[in-house]
This record gives sequence, structure tokens and C-alpha cells, in this order.
Amino acid sequence: MKSSVGVAEGPEGGPRVRAAHRVFSFLAHEPALAAAVGALGLLLFLAVFGPLIWTKSATAVDVGSSLLPPSRAHPMGTDSIGRDVFSRFNEGARISLAVGVLVVVVGAILGGVAGVVAGASPGWVDATLMRIMDAILAFPALILAMAVTVGLGAGLETAALGIMLGSLPYYARLLRSEVLRIRSLPFIEAAHALGARRTRIMARHIVPHVVSTLLIQGAAVFGYAILTLAALGFVGLGAQVPTPEWGTMITDGLQYFLTGQWWIGAFPGFGVLLAVTAASVIADRTRDILDPRGRFAHV
Amino acid sequence: MSMTRRIAGQLVGGLISILGASIIAFLFMRVLPGNPARLIVGPLASQEAITQQEKAMGLDQPLVVQYWRYIKGIITGDWGFAYTSGETVRHEIVARLPASMELGLYAFLIAFVLAVLLAVLSTYRHRPWLDGGVRTASFLGLGTPPFWFGLIALLLFSQVWGIFPGPDGRLGPDTIPPPTVTHFYTFDAVIAGQWGTAWDALRHIALPAITLGLAPWAFLVRLLRANLLEVSRENFLVVVRSKGLGRRPAFQKHALPNAFLPTLTAAGLLLAQLLAGSVLVEKVFNWPGVGGLIVDSILRQDFAVVQTFVLLSAILYVCVNVVVEILYSVVDPRVRLPVMK
Repeated sequence: MKSSVGVAEGPEGGPRVRAAHRVFSFLAHEPALAAAVGALGLLLFLAVFGPLIWTKSATAVDVGSSLLPPSRAHPMGTDSIGRDVFSRFNEGARISLAVGVLVVVVGAILGGVAGVVAGASPGWVDATLMRIMDAILAFPALILAMAVTVGLGAGLETAALGIMLGSLPYYARLLRSEVLRIRSLPFIEAAHALGARRTRIMARHIVPHVVSTLLIQGAAVFGYAILTLAALGFVGLGAQVPTPEWGTMITDGLQYFLTGQWWIGAFPGFGVLLAVTAASVIADRTRDILDPRGRFAHV
Repeated sequence: MSMTRRIAGQLVGGLISILGASIIAFLFMRVLPGNPARLIVGPLASQEAITQQEKAMGLDQPLVVQYWRYIKGIITGDWGFAYTSGETVRHEIVARLPASMELGLYAFLIAFVLAVLLAVLSTYRHRPWLDGGVRTASFLGLGTPPFWFGLIALLLFSQVWGIFPGPDGRLGPDTIPPPTVTHFYTFDAVIAGQWGTAWDALRHIALPAITLGLAPWAFLVRLLRANLLEVSRENFLVVVRSKGLGRRPAFQKHALPNAFLPTLTAAGLLLAQLLAGSVLVEKVFNWPGVGGLIVDSILRQDFAVVQTFVLLSAILYVCVNVVVEILYSVVDPRVRLPVMK
């Protein structure tokens, strides 16, 4: 795939204008990436500014106007007890994106540290850490999250914890192999020969090299987190009842799907689809652009 | 390194994984929750029942003893009671296993056949629209919540167009199940010569199988497509072509087999998708399988069933992965898998 980043002729103007122009001309050559960024941007906008542009309450019950189809007053209709689905959709976007970001940030830090430590430490530390990761990997991701939420009590927090736990091995394994690869490169040897200590080599030479790897894996995990959160909500182990989380909203709409009130469950599911697909497209394209050899694990 | 040692290493690695998984499951489901006895007997149980359950579970014993009993129970098939039905967990799971396995089989077949077909078509023929379509569909397939896809499918194909029946399980309400041979209704009906029943069973399994197969299909088609593209850039294909072999035989005899082999390693991931997917999909179609049982048990706070399912899936998942790795190192001599990576 050709990219015009380096050769783009920026317009006259300050460095910021030029940078913006470069981003746009880059995205113009990457329609899939542009669509994905746009979709996530839209969801992010609704999550952050939704309550400002659409002021109807997400939780206020209005039995008089229940099960209304999408209209100008209710762009996504109303649910069985008259709550505005669009407001709930926005609130759901906020919850999903927030949990996604939280899972990615905490997971990337913990998993990344585990991977780097395993890759740079003597054998027994490495072996112990990797055995723990293997034990986590023994569970299909959703089922591990189910185990955590069943044990600790269903809810958004425990769901996030379970999802984060399941993502750790992917970071750890990837970063460990990256560290092992980088460690054998000549420039590390050179740093050694110059007298640099291990901590300095780690901080100045190895860690900066694995950051992009970590970010790409994070983007993939972001989508997986949103999908798993919705799945947990759907089976009743994620967010609990009045919380407008996308998965639980689909459960709410379950019994109305076949009686014609499709909008209750259809829109939140579409939100999940949009967010997860966008995240995986972004992860996939950046990976291809930054890393043509494809060393990454697919979650 | 000899083959025997390598296989032994794989087996030991698998055992260690299962051991670790059982410790994680034990920690999260028996140790960390406030009162595991209450979790097992459910929120409606009396104080007496809780005390009794605590004693029965040996919660007064040290953790190591508790863990040992837990493992022994799992291995000997003593998986506890499902308090809402009064049956043993083993009975509940075994009774519902055939429905899930039949659904999983059809989902896998659909996913596999369509994935191979579309991956081959989109790489062999240089049609950008086809390739783009397959790629887009695979991204969407992996991003779609399967339960939501099932609902949309029901809405369109059952409710609006009436092509497939609604969510009434494995058979229509008026159809009598065929005499039991394999426990798979579609097979049993054919064996008994009941073509009407077979047709009804097929119509009922179509939508759930497509729904459950969506994610595995998307995953497989991406993997196969990537493998095919990678293999077709290899030097040996250039050699084969330059020796005068046509494009099609080169593709069929040399590129395809080599692109298939790595997909073997994905068998474990496919199983994981089918296991987790069944939990999400069966409920939507009222399919009387294990996945639906799990969701119902969660709703009824009947957690003994869920706990058993969690550990059994982990054991099954690890076993499949070990078998795959052994098979892979046998089939492909290039693989020099380190013992206990």
C-alpha cells in the first residue's frame, strides 16, 4: 500500500496546518482506515456530547410513550417502559468506550510489564510469568470473564476486570518475544559495550522499541473488550439492569424483536458492531503499515 | 530432539496449563467470593442449607485440602447439584450436550466450507470487488455480536420473509423427535427414514448454525486468505511456475496444501469461538443445548453449573491445543517446537 505521508506537499501555513493536511491526505489513501476513524469518532462524539445535544433522560420511565417506533421525537424509538433509546444508546457508547479504554490502558501496562520483565529476566522469572499467562490462556476469553464475574459478583467493574485479565497474555507473549528479538540486535550489544547498565538499556533502548507494538495490540484488544462487555451484559453478568449498557439493552429488546419492536435491540447491537469493527480495522491497517512482516497475535 | 520427547513435552505443558487454569478457576469461584456455599445453594436458601453446604464443601478445611477435593470432584465427574432442577450438574450437561454438538458441527461445516470457497475465489481470481467484499465481510463478521446477529436473522428470515421457522428449538412444535441413535436429530431422522422430520430439523438448525458459524467463518477466511497470499509469494511457487506448470495446477497442488497447514493451529481458537458462541447464540433460538443451560443458570443464580462449564471448557480447550500442536509437529517436519516453550 502506497502512502504519501513523506512526500505530501503541505500547504502554506504553520506546522499544525501542515500536520493536519498530512493526516488528511494520508487518510484519503486509506478509505477503510478513514471510515473506521470516522465511525469511532462519531461514537466518541455521541458518548461525550450526547447528553448535551440530546437532553432526554436515559433512565426516566414514561409508560405512556412505551414501544414507540423511531420518529423525530425519538430517533431510535422508545423501549418497553418508555425510555428514549437514543439517549440510552449514547449512554451505552459512553460506558462501552470508557470500559474499552480502561481495559486497554490497565491491561497494556500490566501485560506489557509482564512481557518486558519476562523477556529481560533470568529463566525462572520468565518461566513463572509465562506459566501464569498459559493458565489464563487455557480459558476461552469470554469464559474466563464469565468465571471472574460469577465469582466476584456480576457488574460493570468485575466484567472489566475479567476482560482485562483475559487480555494480559496477548500483550505479555507479544512483548516478551519482541524484547527477546531486540535484545539480540547489534545496537543493544553496542550499548552494552559502551558500558550502559541493564536498567538503562531497558529504559532507553528496549522499551521505546516496543511501544508501537503495544499500541497496535491495544487497538485490537479495545474491540475485543467492547464485544465481550456486550456479551457479558447479554447473559446477565455485565452491567446490571437499569444501566444502559449496549449488551443489556439487546437483552431488553430480546422479547420485542419478534413482536415487531426491533429498534430496542437493533440499535445497541449496531453500536457494538460499529465500535468493534472500527477498532479491528484500525488495528489491522496500522499493523500492516507499521509492520509488514505481521508478528502480531490476533485476539 | 526426538519426536517422542517433543510430544511428551507438549503433554506436560498441557497438563501444567490445565493445572494453572484449575487454580485460577478455584481462586475466582471458590476462594474469592464472600460465601461460596451461598453461591452454590443460591440466594433463596435458608441459613441451615448454607451451613450444610459449607460442611459438604469442606469450607472449614485448609485451602490445599479444599483444592484437592475440588479437583477430585471434577475428575470423578462429581460436579455438584443444580439446585433449581434438583438434578446433578453432570446429568444436566450430558442431557443437553448432543443439541450443542449438533449445532456446533453444522456451524463449523458452514464456516469451513464457505471460508475455503471464498478464500480461494478471492485470491485465485483477481477481482478487487470480490476480495474487498470478502475482507469487509470478515471484519464485520468478527465485530458482530453473535446474539444480535441471530436476532436480526430471526427478524428478517423468520418474521418478515418467513423462509425459516421461528425460535422454537430443534424441531417445530408439531414434529415428534426421531428415534434416538446418534442424538443428532438430522442424522436420526434420516436413519429412521423420516424425511419430513429431517427437513424440519434442518430448517430449524439453519439460522442458529449460520449465526454460530459467523465468527469462525470470518476468522478462517482471513487466515486462509492471508496464508494463500503468503504462500503464493514463496520461491518454490516461482520455481514450479517457471518450470512450465500452469497457474491452476500450481495453485491447486502447491499453494493450497501449503496454505491449509497453518490453519490447523487455529483449531483451538475455532473451538473457543464455538464454545463461547454457543453460550450467546443458543438462548436467542431457544436451542436446548449447554450454552442455553449456562445462560439460564446465570439468570437463576445456579452457579454450580456455570463453574463446571468454565473448567470443562478450559480443559477441552487445552486438550485440543495440545493435540493440534502434536499433530502439527508430526505433519510439518520444519516445525522445531521447543519442548515446553
